Amino acid sequence: MTVLSDIYYVCWREMKRFWQHKPRILVVVFQPLVWLVLMGNMMSGLTSNPFASRMLGVERYIDFMTPGVMIMTALFGGIFSGVSLLWDRRIGFLSKMLVAPVSRVAIPVGKMLATAMQGAIQVAVIALVALFLGVKFKTGLGGFLCLLFIAALFCFAMAGVSLSVAIWVKTIEGLHPILNFFTMPMVFSSNAIFPEAAMPSWLRVVSAWNPLSYAVTAMRALIVEGWAWGKILSGLMVTLLFAFAMVLVATCQFKRSLG
Amino acid sequence: MLFRSAAVSCGGEKVGAIIEVEGLTKVYARGIVAVKEVTFAVEEGEIFGFLGPNGAGKSTTIMMLTTLIKPTAGRAFVAGFDVVREPGRVRLCIGYVSQELAVDDNLSGRDNLFLQAGFYHLPRGEARARCDELLKMMGLYERADDLVETYSGGMRKRLDIACGLIHRPKVLFLDEPTVGLDTQTRHQIWGYIKALREKYGMTIFMTTHYMEEADALCDRIAIIDRGVIKAVGAPAALKDRLGGDVVTLRFKEAPAEKIREAVAALEGLAGVRGVKHQDGDCFIVARGGGELIPQIFQVLQPLGVGVERVTLKRPSLDDVYLYYTGRELRDETGSKEEAMRARMLMRRVRGA
Repeated sequence: MTVLSDIYYVCWREMKRFWQHKPRILVVVFQPLVWLVLMGNMMSGLTSNPFASRMLGVERYIDFMTPGVMIMTALFGGIFSGVSLLWDRRIGFLSKMLVAPVSRVAIPVGKMLATAMQGAIQVAVIALVALFLGVKFKTGLGGFLCLLFIAALFCFAMAGVSLSVAIWVKTIEGLHPILNFFTMPMVFSSNAIFPEAAMPSWLRVVSAWNPLSYAVTAMRALIVEGWAWGKILSGLMVTLLFAFAMVLVATCQFKRSLG
Repeated sequence: MLFRSAAVSCGGEKVGAIIEVEGLTKVYARGIVAVKEVTFAVEEGEIFGFLGPNGAGKSTTIMMLTTLIKPTAGRAFVAGFDVVREPGRVRLCIGYVSQELAVDDNLSGRDNLFLQAGFYHLPRGEARARCDELLKMMGLYERADDLVETYSGGMRKRLDIACGLIHRPKVLFLDEPTVGLDTQTRHQIWGYIKALREKYGMTIFMTTHYMEEADALCDRIAIIDRGVIKAVGAPAALKDRLGGDVVTLRFKEAPAEKIREAVAALEGLAGVRGVKHQDGDCFIVARGGGELIPQIFQVLQPLGVGVERVTLKRPSLDDVYLYYTGRELRDETGSKEEAMRARMLMRRVRGA
């Protein structure tokens, strides 16, 4: 199975690069922390209103927000994966891999896998901070691992989106605005930060088509509700489907770009 | 030895030249013809160079031969394998060092090599041993575990070349091996390239737009301009086709009669192709000008014609290039992405 070996080495490289830049890890984790600590506390007054508390389905807003911040981290971690491919092309590293007998599928998939692992590491750091801020994980360690898996899978899929767009756009300068255009609507048309109950009906329709909503619902269930299998399984299935589709799209796009 | 095993794993059904190219053509989108019906062959153990300006079709040819892009028409065989029908087999036999300094700055030199070994599916133990061997050979062993971002341009180039050697290829493709490097580093890289050929008898296909480089390294060169090969041959032979060396004499004051006699005598010397006299300056076009000079004095002495000054000029490849293409080496402009790449390359070469 040389494909697996190739995926391993593509992934190995990305992980080595990741650990080489420890300051970058801090930067990536810092932003979600700001969300959690500042916005989580700012909005804490919200839940003292019984109506809002019922709408959110939690007693403390930070409990509601933690999975939202986690999914945002997975989203942002994944969405810039395409930059590394374009960078490789610019410095000629991509040609170097293509001249070697490396499986063409392994290049996008290896990058997606590495991005997912990096996303999981960042989400785990956020979980630690959330614990410190008093968020209780109702499903314990097993539930946390399940949550981490869903977040990583979502990150994996977003890396696929990013790679597909990157191959289409071709330049790093062109990629950034498009990705920024993607991310904010994706967060705000989901129930990551605000509950679905608070949305106008049209936004609820958009949210129902947003794979991010399903992932975050499952993660939220694992933190605040317990083993609510309906939500967890539908989140898992939708994210798996999303990830699988993005593997197909990204690899097809990549192969097609080679002519 | 480093490159013995390659002979076993490489070599298709087609024997003869190690690179055989017939009517190779590449037409890009919008009908731009980058390479037009190029035909040539490279013998095993040869250093063969493509000489031409940026945009002449050198890199496009290398990309077709290394399976990076598909030709529009024509055929090419590398180590006996068809580059279109059997790209997987071609890839196992070739090493490719692009002009872009394609090493990962965020990894150490050793990790770069180890990664390359992984891409060629070498077993780990073997990979580690070869990494050490190549790091020593390229003079990078002491800095092997430092991040590449701390390397100089020359060190990066050496690492990049080492990466191209990890799987012991039969043919090494070097695209502009010294572009952007300073003169000292360039000579150093030339030394490494020559050593590779001497030690392992490896075939090297390279492109360059530096005349001195083609002259110093290549056994044979092809002059390419706007996608068409204008001439192929050994550098010396190509220069010879221009007519040979030019010896210029400045005669001392002498009667016109004597000068005429002297010119006639010079025309009679073996190897002289033509003599022109103008206001006391005498231009002699000849093959082997260096050997001719003592003979010139032998002929002139009995005639009593003195010589004030002698100069010998051998034609340079610049002259050859000018002769075959009708113009000086000039670069063509490319896309914005290409410009970005070029700028990146310059930054990396300078070890920023």
